[in-house]
Amino acid sequence: MSQDSNNKTAKHNVNSATNSGITAPYKLDLFTRMVSLSPKILLLLLVLPVLGGLTSVLLPAFSWVPALEQTTLSLQGFNDLWQTPGLTQMVALSIATGLISTLLAFVMSSMILAAFFNSIWLTRIERLLSPILVIPHAAAAIAVGFLIAPSGMFSRLISPWLSGWELAPSGIFPHDPYGISIILGLTLKELPFLLLMALGALAQPELGKKLRQQYKVALNLGYYPITAFFKAVLPILYPFLRLPILAVLAYASASVEMPLILGPNTPPTLAVTIMQWFSDVDLNLRIKASAGALLQLVLTGGLIALWLGAEKIIKTCFNGTLLNGKRNYADVVWQKITAALTTIVIGFILLALIGLMLWSVAGFWRFPAVLPEQLVLLHFQSAFTQMGTPLFNTLTIGIVSTVFAIVLTLLCLEAEQLNKKSISTFTSFIIYLPLLVPSIAFLFGLVWLQQLVNNQTAFFNVAFTHLLFVLPYVFLSLASSYRRLDPRFAHVAASLGATPAKVFLQIKLPQLFAPLLIAIALGLAISFGQYLPTLLAGGGRIATITTEAVTLANGASRRTSAVYAIIQMALPLIGFILAWILPKYFFRSGSNSNR
Amino acid sequence: MQSSLQIRDLQLYRQGKLLLSLDEQIAGGEILTVMGPSGSGKSSLLNWLTGTLPNGFTATGEVWLNDKKVSHLPTHLRRIGVLYQDALLLSHLSVAGNLAFAIPKSNKKGDRQQRSEKIEQALEQVGLAGMENRHPDNLSGGQQARVALLRTLLSEPKAILLDEPFSKLDTQLRVDTRQLVFEQIRTHKLPAIIVTHDHSDAEAANGKVIHLDL
Repeated sequence: MSQDSNNKTAKHNVNSATNSGITAPYKLDLFTRMVSLSPKILLLLLVLPVLGGLTSVLLPAFSWVPALEQTTLSLQGFNDLWQTPGLTQMVALSIATGLISTLLAFVMSSMILAAFFNSIWLTRIERLLSPILVIPHAAAAIAVGFLIAPSGMFSRLISPWLSGWELAPSGIFPHDPYGISIILGLTLKELPFLLLMALGALAQPELGKKLRQQYKVALNLGYYPITAFFKAVLPILYPFLRLPILAVLAYASASVEMPLILGPNTPPTLAVTIMQWFSDVDLNLRIKASAGALLQLVLTGGLIALWLGAEKIIKTCFNGTLLNGKRNYADVVWQKITAALTTIVIGFILLALIGLMLWSVAGFWRFPAVLPEQLVLLHFQSAFTQMGTPLFNTLTIGIVSTVFAIVLTLLCLEAEQLNKKSISTFTSFIIYLPLLVPSIAFLFGLVWLQQLVNNQTAFFNVAFTHLLFVLPYVFLSLASSYRRLDPRFAHVAASLGATPAKVFLQIKLPQLFAPLLIAIALGLAISFGQYLPTLLAGGGRIATITTEAVTLANGASRRTSAVYAIIQMALPLIGFILAWILPKYFFRSGSNSNR
Repeated sequence: MQSSLQIRDLQLYRQGKLLLSLDEQIAGGEILTVMGPSGSGKSSLLNWLTGTLPNGFTATGEVWLNDKKVSHLPTHLRRIGVLYQDALLLSHLSVAGNLAFAIPKSNKKGDRQQRSEKIEQALEQVGLAGMENRHPDNLSGGQQARVALLRTLLSEPKAILLDEPFSKLDTQLRVDTRQLVFEQIRTHKLPAIIVTHDHSDAEAANGKVIHLDL
């Protein structure tokens, strides 16, 4: 270990101080000490709630609930669980919707990448789809529900000239017992996410350049474009997509917003059932609910294991195909199929959004008419009069959790640079833990823990729980830009006598202004969209736009529901627009000569 | 007091393998030239001197500046200035902002006024009068190099390290800029080390030359 070269960490300081008697040891500044502590704080902050939450679900699952005077371990909860009518259906529904939607989203995003790789259409598709990313799941579900409902946009467009329907038919969508609506909603929501994650990986300078070169080589060797993508690009790109895919899989198999709004009631998915048990007034149901939460954990874990296993099998089976030299697998046909599919997906999304807008301003709207007979702002006006508190809660919780997440992420990334080594694989795994563990499985335990500590400050509990979900995204979004900073700027500044704190605040933060704003907008969007954490940690006392939207989605008024869904979309969108515009006016390079 | 930069018993290792060993003393106003092929450890030597040695490198030895040991200090307390081949001006600040960033803060009254006067004079000295509010990206390569030099000098360093500072400039500009930099080093009586590929740099430095091998 070097004695003199690297004196920024406390350890080195001790080393050099003991090595020479002459030199007066310098005191580490507060900033550096704070920074070097931050990765540990980050770990504690994530590990304690998730693992604590899991443990607090584990004990009640085996009937150990001191609060209900149950202190003997037994399998009663599991016995009750097995006897629940329709349990098999619930589990099957969860598995099918989770797996099929993830598979569809992955296959379709790979097809789009393959068909439009190196074409200007890829950027156009990216621009069209990226706003979808900021739409909260609940709002997306509401929009999709409106589209496919018997009296929705879709059947209006084909009635009566094609279908012959003069009155709204009695269809099975949404809430169909097979979960098709759920699959549709999840696929449409996760497809843009996976696609943008892939494009994000391709935007990394070295990786992107390498993959584009390899693609070009394959084309030069006579490979057809789609085949070239699957044989020369995807095998290297896939590892960068694994984590996002697993997060999608975990989310899809255990989410509650989408199944609540689009899924069947008899019976619903496992996650929704567990939530209903937990919120039942009969506290004894909590034992069964905890057992159910464990089952959910096993289910999601099993799906992840299944996916990883399938990965291995596919890799082995297709290894020969990769090397067989075949250059064309009906490429032209696939190209056309993909183009058609992409058009359908984008059309579907646009139609869903247009339908949502129309409902929010619709006056009287007879069935087969494509447009409402009059447009009114009444629904917005009446919604706004009731929206004050939920809007205030949404914004304050979002700001508190995002600011905290940003500060912690920045300190951790700075610690990485001060220590000159990346955070360990363990730490980066832990950061993504809240994305991989089904939230329904640990949130109830977490809420129980929070009630042990204090049960008064619902606001704090909600903000803290949001932080768990905001942090991974903020970290993901900031890490690559932070690591790409040219270290020489920091070295020059330090050699000019700038303290580490000054270098951080005056050199690094201004250089990171644009990515920082994007991360803030993303953090806010994630917090705005949280349903289950808000509901549970707030004990139902904290209403946000999202909880209101989900509650209203199955209620009477389609119009009010549409208004809430639109507000839900507008909030994160405003954030991203600001994040896009502000860097053009502040800290921009090349033109602030008049300041 | 005669200013000096001393390298005592440096052994620099890369991945545990000895890269170079050095024991040198440079008096104020003297310029030591270090030459050698890429990978011979030239830049790592400068990184060690400033305390920014990357991962994978280790070193033993001490740096003394004006009879004070500084190698246990973090970069910002060492007061060793560096000039790189890129000017590395901060693009979120104006030219004056870049210079003000470097001037040590004094708590005396009228400090602001003094600082801006200092910046004005400094810019005048190198033929950049009136360029305070220009944006660094709009300057020519030679102008940027001069601002970078001023920035380092204004931070009142006790020694200067030059990491191939002229290699991105074309020939005539190179000669002029070099002359200016070396002149300033000698006027301020600063010990300096220049790392370079170019023999004409070594000649102009007119001091001891060390050749590093692979």
